[in-house]
Amino acid sequence: MNRKLLIVVRREFLQQVRTKGFWIATFLIPAIGLAIVGVQILLNRSLDAKGRVAVVDVTGRLYDSLVAEHRTRGSDGEKKKDEKASARSDSLEFIRVDATAETLPGIRKKLNADVQAERLKAYLVLGPGTLEKGTAEYRAKSVKSDFIMREQIAGWLSRAATKERLRDKGVDPALYEAARVRADLDVREAKDVETGETGKNVGYNIAVSVILFFLIYGSLFAWGGAVMRGVLEEKNNRIVEVIVSSVRPTTLMLGKILGIGCAGLLQYAIWTTLAVLVSTPAVVALMGVVDAPRLPVSTLVAFVVFFILGYFLYASLYAAFAAPFNTEAEAQQLIMIPMSFLILAATTWFFAFNDPDGKLALILSMIPFTSPLIMFMRITVQMPPLWQIALSVAGRVYRVGILMYGKKPTLPEIFRWARQAD
Amino acid sequence: MNAIELQGVVKRFGKFTAVDRLDLAIPKGVTFGLIGPNGAGKTTTLRMIMNITKPDEGTITVLGQPMGEALQQRIGYLPEERGLYRKMKVVDQLLFFAAIKGVDRETALKRLSPWIDSMDLRPWLHKKTEELSKGMQQKVQFLGTIVHDPEILILDEPFAGLDPINVILVKDFFTEFKRQGKTVVFSTHVLEQAERLCERIGLLYRSKKLLDGTMREIKNAYRDRVPLPPPVEPEPELEKIFIKVVQESGLAAPTAEELR
Repeated sequence: MNRKLLIVVRREFLQQVRTKGFWIATFLIPAIGLAIVGVQILLNRSLDAKGRVAVVDVTGRLYDSLVAEHRTRGSDGEKKKDEKASARSDSLEFIRVDATAETLPGIRKKLNADVQAERLKAYLVLGPGTLEKGTAEYRAKSVKSDFIMREQIAGWLSRAATKERLRDKGVDPALYEAARVRADLDVREAKDVETGETGKNVGYNIAVSVILFFLIYGSLFAWGGAVMRGVLEEKNNRIVEVIVSSVRPTTLMLGKILGIGCAGLLQYAIWTTLAVLVSTPAVVALMGVVDAPRLPVSTLVAFVVFFILGYFLYASLYAAFAAPFNTEAEAQQLIMIPMSFLILAATTWFFAFNDPDGKLALILSMIPFTSPLIMFMRITVQMPPLWQIALSVAGRVYRVGILMYGKKPTLPEIFRWARQAD
Repeated sequence: MNAIELQGVVKRFGKFTAVDRLDLAIPKGVTFGLIGPNGAGKTTTLRMIMNITKPDEGTITVLGQPMGEALQQRIGYLPEERGLYRKMKVVDQLLFFAAIKGVDRETALKRLSPWIDSMDLRPWLHKKTEELSKGMQQKVQFLGTIVHDPEILILDEPFAGLDPINVILVKDFFTEFKRQGKTVVFSTHVLEQAERLCERIGLLYRSKKLLDGTMREIKNAYRDRVPLPPPVEPEPELEKIFIKVVQESGLAAPTAEELR
């Protein structure tokens, strides 16, 4: 029996791996992933404030201070570290417009026209209220856009106004600058011997987990679908009966799941190798990346383990739900029921990640359909062996289903097959 | 010894009884025809003999042993719903069939070689199955059925959908197997085929066996009870005429493309 299983596994594996689609997907998916990251970086730059903004400073005290804040600070409000950053945000230009309470209405009229004609991006009106309560007018063509820039301007203005208010109270604004301190949480695990790695690169670790999470998610859909198509192909080809005349149906199903799963693992192995290659010191130095990202081995192991666990569960479901039907469309209708759990996991992962030991994560990791993914987030291996049960039930449905042609079976009929011993 | 024996075999699908208390004995070395209209229970019976589905009641004995997985390796089975992997090369396909029957590569190729030549399959061995004509695919299916040199051959409606050339081919198969002393069991709803090819038949109708025995016994038993056909002048068969015409035409033998 084991020998036959291996023969089926081999055939299924080769059938997958010999297609062009397999190799295209294997190398295209990481390429697309990198492209998305690249686009993100480019888009992040586009968030920098730019354009001409007129400043009507009725108080006569805030303009210089505001410009100074803009010059000395980056968009995040922290002191700029290097020249490169300042060159970038210089695309924002403040223009001083002098006004008094009497000339203001006329100036407003002219500025409104300039904004509408897009000669100006926006204009600010700073009055006594700005110094007293921090209120300032911002007028632009649309109130919906440029919210990042608005936040930045508000930040610079806050600091400028604070300094002026300190000056009024007889405090040297330089003291404020000197006294101000930004708190930073040094996050590490509570252990007597603290390692340098833990807690470092937290943002990076989250990003890696999220990427791996969605890789598992995508793979479960993709390879589960491959199992379904394989089952339907054999059934529609009518070859299945030839095979089950010498191989047990459950062996055939298991062989198909294993063979296709091996193709999936090969893909994972290639991706992992690529990831390791990319993060070797030599390559990192070559690319000029400073803070070298490193995949923790435990994460990689969990990644593979949870792909396997999840794959067995979903692949057997796909096989069972495909076997009774003749077309992919018919099978898809039913498979959507368990698949919705997968989607649930994909939409709640963030909460599980934020609180890995919380109630939500606990519940989702107990539901067999969501556990492979959420468990991966929790990285606490206590997976109930439910996939084994799924496999055996799927085997029964599969065994009956593959020989049924014609009429579409009803759900109660399929459940009856699942209960039957033979 | 009987090659196949069924005793009190019952198979139900829900409320429907597909095979009802079937007793059947097929001696070794005979060609046995299971006849009856569509839906009589022929396919279900053959599937049970083949251990693809299990009977709800009764016992099935093959070559003196209760039917089980090990015995599957000694039977060649060609289901009515036959197919091939479309994306696989012909030779890989045949070797896959051989492998799941426990036959290694060399033995399989050696055994099939004469057949591959007589069927003009050699040029197609490294083509994908989907490139083959239907007739060619049927040849591959037949080879898949005999690659493990089975002692018993079970064929479900082997003539369904065959063109005349392939019908002759299948008949050649039967003759060859008979010569080797093997048992051939096939189902058909075309009575003329059964009459011409079988030594024994069994008649299934509405899930029940109504009749079985050797062709001679049955004909003798019903000699006085059914009207005899009028005596006919012997005349050449159309099949023989077809072959003669083709041979005398001086044209090349029909190719797979033409039979597509």
